[in-house]
Amino acid sequence: MDLAYSPKQQAFRAEVRAWLEAHVPKEPLVTLECREGYDQHVAWERTLAGGNWGMVTWPEQFGGRGLDLIEWLIFEEEYFRAGAPNRANQNGIFLLGPTIMEFGTDEQKARFLPPMARGEVIWAQAWSEPGAGSDMAAIQSKAVRDGDHYVISGQKTWSSRAAFADWGFGIFRTDPESKRHKGLTFILFDLNSPGITRRPIRQLHGDTGFAELFFDEVRVPVANCLAGEGQGWNVAMATAGFERGLMLRSPGRFQATAKRLVELYRQHADTASPAAREAVVQAWGAAQAYAYNTYGVAAKIMAGGSIGAEASLNKIFWSELDRAMHRTAMQLLGAAAELKRFADGSINQWLEGYVFSLSGPIYAGSNEVQRNITAERLLGLPRVGAG
Amino acid sequence: MDFRFTDDQLLLATSVREYLAGTHGTQVLRRLDEQGNRDPAIWQGLVDMGLTGVLVPEALGGLGMGLVEAALIAVECGRACLAEPLVDTAFVAAPWLVREGRTDAIAGIVDGSRKIVPAHAINPWLADGEGARLQSVDPLRNLTTAPHDASEDPYLLDLGALMSAAQLVGIADAMLEQATDYAKLRSQFGQPIGAFQAIKHQLASCMVAIEFARPVVWRAAAALQAGGAHAATHVSHAKLAATDAAMLTAETAIQVHGAMGYTYEVDLHFWMKRAWALSGAWGSRAFHVRRLDEAVIGGTIPIGPEHTFA
Ligand SMILES: Cc1cc2nc3c(=O)[nH]c(=O)nc-3n(C[C@H](O)[C@H](O)[C@H](O)COP(=O)(O)OP(=O)(O)OC[C@H]3O[C@@H](n4cnc5c(N)ncnc54)[C@H](O)[C@@H]3O)c2cc1C
Repeated sequence: MDLAYSPKQQAFRAEVRAWLEAHVPKEPLVTLECREGYDQHVAWERTLAGGNWGMVTWPEQFGGRGLDLIEWLIFEEEYFRAGAPNRANQNGIFLLGPTIMEFGTDEQKARFLPPMARGEVIWAQAWSEPGAGSDMAAIQSKAVRDGDHYVISGQKTWSSRAAFADWGFGIFRTDPESKRHKGLTFILFDLNSPGITRRPIRQLHGDTGFAELFFDEVRVPVANCLAGEGQGWNVAMATAGFERGLMLRSPGRFQATAKRLVELYRQHADTASPAAREAVVQAWGAAQAYAYNTYGVAAKIMAGGSIGAEASLNKIFWSELDRAMHRTAMQLLGAAAELKRFADGSINQWLEGYVFSLSGPIYAGSNEVQRNITAERLLGLPRVGAG
Repeated sequence: MDFRFTDDQLLLATSVREYLAGTHGTQVLRRLDEQGNRDPAIWQGLVDMGLTGVLVPEALGGLGMGLVEAALIAVECGRACLAEPLVDTAFVAAPWLVREGRTDAIAGIVDGSRKIVPAHAINPWLADGEGARLQSVDPLRNLTTAPHDASEDPYLLDLGALMSAAQLVGIADAMLEQATDYAKLRSQFGQPIGAFQAIKHQLASCMVAIEFARPVVWRAAAALQAGGAHAATHVSHAKLAATDAAMLTAETAIQVHGAMGYTYEVDLHFWMKRAWALSGAWGSRAFHVRRLDEAVIGGTIPIGPEHTFA
């Protein structure tokens, strides 16, 4: 156990900090969930890519920096310290990128990864369907082979960023006779293909965060299939692992929220309840605990280990922490909690954050499903029925 | 930067775990409870393993290890619900006496002839002493009234709180394991109760609490070993996180056991009572919340993403 950063790591932190201080937009961007904000966020992706800060953990050959996980954590800490924007490219960096690196052909790597790293192509994920939420194996959207194309028909939903993104990825039923986890294939598709209709869905806060996708005989080249026909479930599980595992939510995000919460508390100390005060202290503690845990997992992975079902513990912990911190903030704000903008015109980011935090326990595998996984795979309790 | 244990540290923890599993199982707890709760043979076994000298410098005849190793062993003592005052003697008293330069008692600690449970003003009584007896809910603790010359040294308090936190993590592990095992065995409505989601989810929540308390304890052990400016804050953080994880797990474990859990016959109660005792010892929950509050809201510790290891 060595809890000091090496001189090289300290120098790296200084380098990241200096770049971010020079480049992070001074004014917060408009929310990613609308056209204007989306465009601003994509522009930020290109700024990041310009400094080669887009995909820091990717190998250099694909447009990354080949950083190890400790350097990644340092980068993320500095990113959230600087208050830098949310990542429009999130799906590419942490989900599709690693998946293509693991399962893609050389041709697919060369074709898809560099434009992703440059922020030129923004990706949406399309797993969920109206009848397949937690139970993803119930997917019905079909991809029928026709020569060197698949013809896709069906419907996907809740696809984040899909209202504005360029490409999508998901799994489709290529074997019409198949059931459940079999006969599914992982396919990448251009969201502007003829036959795709996007219908934006208004989210809780009123903006367009995700979209429904309707596929009406959409022709997609077979070359866009990842890891071979029928392998979709395995690939999707690997992708879900990347997401829930280490990278979807780095600790810096929650440490930054905890810090802002402490500052909010100080402004409202006169009217706050003792319970709220303790909740603020606990928020710092839990965000730190999440960081220590992540450093431990990172060290383990760097030494050749892996993160399996333990990822479910992480997902439960950060999503419930995020909700608790924002709930506390709403309590501290009191009557002002309902204001979309404060009297001085500034956006009520606590309200926005609270609304978003309510989705954390739902997306990326609901927390009920994560508790099932924890109980069954980590504690070895019996599985009964589906789930 | 490497937040991991060395292979040697892990080996040490495993060997203590296996030794205690073999020599200090539930039948031993029951025997101690019924026939007098101290057993020189158990103490001698711990001494023979070298555990009393873990934190004693090699020059004084010990193993010269640090608080991280000691905390790893303390977790195992909690897991085994160890009755003998090894943690108090070897991981609280010994490093404190060494730091104080009061080395006259050290040889006796190492060779096992002296058990020392230090008196600190934070504790209204001694966990194991020779004064007037008080009765603890934990049948394996021999409480006595505290002497008048109790120390007020903050380092001693931090040692006690850290080692309590480490034991609480081991206690929580053990209770979760017992409840999980029971949930696999007990059937109702034609299926193991562990197949009910209401049971699964409660146990999963305990696991979350424990796994996110554990690294806080390691962080505190490393901080107290290094003696940094914020060590006390990290210790309070660890005591709080471990207390909350252990209390949640205790309440969940009894619930999962049903009426069985409410009996004296099922061994769960030993761990549960130790959890209650250690939650209040070496600073109550409120005491540690307040210390954390002074650091976090009071602003004495730097906070934010770039200060993970402040
Ligand atoms: C903000 C947001 C962004 C999203 N982005 C995307 C995206 O980009 N791409 C995409 O494909 N999807 C996305 N999703 C969809 C998300 O993956 C699903 O919402 C999620 O998988 C749950 O499915 P569902 O909404 O159909 O809920 P359901 O599966 O209908 O679940 C409803 C409730 O039942 C519970 N439940 C279900 N099954 C079980 C079980 N076995 N045991 C116990 N409880 C159970 C759930 O936990 C939940 O509480 C997004 C969702 C949100 C909220």
